[in-house]
Amino acid sequence: MNSNDVSRRAFLTAAVAAGGGLLIGPLLDSELLAGTTTMQGASAVPLNAWIRVSPDDVVTLIASQSEMGQGVMTTLPAVLAEELGADWSRIKIEFSPTAPPYRNPRIDWQFTGNSESTTGFFELLRTMGASAREMLIIAAANRWGVTADECSTDNGRITHRLSGRSMRFGDVAEDAARVKPPANPKPKPESDWKLLGKSLSRVELPGKIGGSAVFGLDFTMPGMVSAAIKQSPVHGGVVADFDKSSVMNLPGVIDVVPIPNGVAVVARQYWQAYRALKMLKVTFQSGANASLSDATLNSQYRSALDGNVWKTVKTEGEAVTREAMRPRFASVYSQEYESQFLAHATMEPMNCTAHVTNEGCTIWGPLQGNQLAQVTLASVLNLPPEKITINRTLLGGGFGRRLLVDFVVQAALVSRAVGKPVKVVWSREEDMQHDVYRPATLQRITAGLDKVGKPSALAHDVVSPSILQYVFTPAVTEDNDPSCLEGLMESHYQIPSQRVDFHLLKIGAPTSVLRTTGYGPNIFAVESFIDELAARAGRDPYLFRHDLLKDERSLKVLETAAEKSGWKRRAPKGVGRGIAYTEAFRTHIAHVVELSVERGLVKIHGITCVIDCGVALDPEICKNSIEGGTVWGLGVAFKSNISFKDGRTVESNFHDFQIPRIYETPPIDVHIVNSNTNGMGGTGEVGPVTVIPALTNALFAATGKRYRTLPLSRHGLKLA
Amino acid sequence: MAQIVFTLNGQSVTVDAEPEKPLLWVLREDLGLTGTKYGCGMAICGCCVIHLNNDAIRSCVTPVARAEGKAVTTIEGLSRDLNHPVQRAWLEVQVPQCGYCQPGQMMSAACVLAQKANPTDADIDDAMSGNLCRCGTYPRIRRAIHRAADIAGGKGGRQ
Repeated sequence: MNSNDVSRRAFLTAAVAAGGGLLIGPLLDSELLAGTTTMQGASAVPLNAWIRVSPDDVVTLIASQSEMGQGVMTTLPAVLAEELGADWSRIKIEFSPTAPPYRNPRIDWQFTGNSESTTGFFELLRTMGASAREMLIIAAANRWGVTADECSTDNGRITHRLSGRSMRFGDVAEDAARVKPPANPKPKPESDWKLLGKSLSRVELPGKIGGSAVFGLDFTMPGMVSAAIKQSPVHGGVVADFDKSSVMNLPGVIDVVPIPNGVAVVARQYWQAYRALKMLKVTFQSGANASLSDATLNSQYRSALDGNVWKTVKTEGEAVTREAMRPRFASVYSQEYESQFLAHATMEPMNCTAHVTNEGCTIWGPLQGNQLAQVTLASVLNLPPEKITINRTLLGGGFGRRLLVDFVVQAALVSRAVGKPVKVVWSREEDMQHDVYRPATLQRITAGLDKVGKPSALAHDVVSPSILQYVFTPAVTEDNDPSCLEGLMESHYQIPSQRVDFHLLKIGAPTSVLRTTGYGPNIFAVESFIDELAARAGRDPYLFRHDLLKDERSLKVLETAAEKSGWKRRAPKGVGRGIAYTEAFRTHIAHVVELSVERGLVKIHGITCVIDCGVALDPEICKNSIEGGTVWGLGVAFKSNISFKDGRTVESNFHDFQIPRIYETPPIDVHIVNSNTNGMGGTGEVGPVTVIPALTNALFAATGKRYRTLPLSRHGLKLA
Repeated sequence: MAQIVFTLNGQSVTVDAEPEKPLLWVLREDLGLTGTKYGCGMAICGCCVIHLNNDAIRSCVTPVARAEGKAVTTIEGLSRDLNHPVQRAWLEVQVPQCGYCQPGQMMSAACVLAQKANPTDADIDDAMSGNLCRCGTYPRIRRAIHRAADIAGGKGGRQ
């Protein structure tokens, strides 16, 4: 067998990757490789923007949301299939183009993030599925000369209940497509669900388990070349000079092309480009950030917190200020909390393939921000948006990094420069050092307490750089960014006087959206502080929270966490238990962590987590996500950290930016409490939010010491 | 450039490549097998784990010349139709999230099971400590390896 045979076989394996009778081939279809987005056989009939039915009964369901491990290309199509009454074994999933029908209705914008795929699309997809179902039924009823309300669908067939006659979806698809879409399609009651609320086998798993799944890095097309890039090591710097001739004679090298903040070496293969890049003579101009360091950042944060430039963003009740509390309350307590900078460090480094021609630009890549990519490229390439076609591959992790489009623009610019399809691939070092980081925050919470130590007033001061500046600019003003305040604007704790003051810090390090966004640092501060108040009042931290909560869903989640973790049983000697609760991304969540500490080694005996995300449409997917989020949270709590020196990011790979390993992972027990579909919440980002304060609260219970700055490695603590 | 001959997933292949070129990129770019992933390029993350004569190795730091005359197995060759006990267990336990690291995880897991029919949690933690998963699927990886051991041992395995 020669190498051509191997690659052809690999291609064929990928193209037919189908598990359990599922016809899934949206990612390596030959038409996709040819640059078109129409994948269905010509005879498939669209019933609406989301559903097509072919004469052989294959139902194509459109996935608008990018698949990055959150299972969304299973769960959301299952909503359509449920309403349709489709046969789940005859389903084909196809990613949507970047087009208006597929925008998140809340903000009329197409993206995958903010844990809002389910909350944003559940009602819309129920309606679209129900609408298509009613159209199929009307078409069948007309054929039979019966009324539509005597008919129903199930398992890919329409049945006339009185006569028992039935026909296949494929039989009436053409007729159904001509039926006027109903004005008020009626979704099924939950009690009739057959697919939702159950754990389905994820549609893309066979490809992920056999190695045929196509991530951005795996995408290839005829004539494609590869590029390796080097960006200015100092944030905000630019290329001063490079000597193309130093590498042009190396094997495979095609060109060396400037990009906005660096340079790209283009070669026949990535390995050739990567090697040539290492030998390229290139110099950079540092710009304004040359002296940026942890020390300069720390002093910026400190000056802001100690200063008086504040925007009052929340006032509730009397909204007593920190300064005014002292004479008014029996006692006043104040503490500061600090969360660190973090990198996304998706396992698949940034990459994107672009083909720019005179006619337009086609992109294939692992993208969360597909509409931002379209709009940005239209502007950069001076083309109308409809000339920018965005195709998505699977994402090897997203966590918010792939909402940004810096790597997409690079691919397009390099393709335009060399006149070929180009795949731009970042090395791990580029990925780590040119991430757009989760900003560090510095916060201060001050409480006015009554005689028994219950908070009557809370004043919360937050210093944070922007989160949304690059991904959703319209939401950000000169002195405000709503994402930095998540979890603080609407607290479930019943405290009569509340205020939040914010200082939007301008820093030289690039910052953006990262899993948990504002909720992560804010809830770490709030849930640590509440725990401190409980301890000062001499109260059990679970009961103390219970007394402050009123909302039914909050209480149910908190009580279930106490019950499932055995909170009321006395902890063995030396063992500390910590608890934390919040609502984040519209999901209520509580974590209980049980641990002991010996000579700086933290042994976690077990973690219990309870969520209420409305109704878990696929419980196993939700649990996997919460387990993984909990592990992520342990990494944030203990060791993940980005630091800066001489204008550069210090960490460069997984040896110095550390994430949890398997031996550091304790048993994690996740429980789902369903409430109702009016309160659907996300599960992608909420997992890490409460585990971190539950952990530091458990450390206090075990050792009597409070940890208010992260990561814990700063305090000499390690996971055992 | 040199001609290097080795066995890839049971079949003999000949590649023309620089002898120092990492096996990872030979597999991905010269042979078109993209199941083996690039993650760190310095043998820290385990995304690129493959088998070389039945040993789990990091293909990102292994020069292709080292494969000369040896047997290379990648995720694509672990089984013909996803029926290796590890793959069956991975599907049953629904291990992957993003899935990018999972070929490396499964190749490491297959090696553990080849050496120990019934690994303990400690054996698993030890053998899998070099495979990172950013999505944090470790609890399921542990469960799936135990399950794969059962399947391989004929306990509750499905046909």
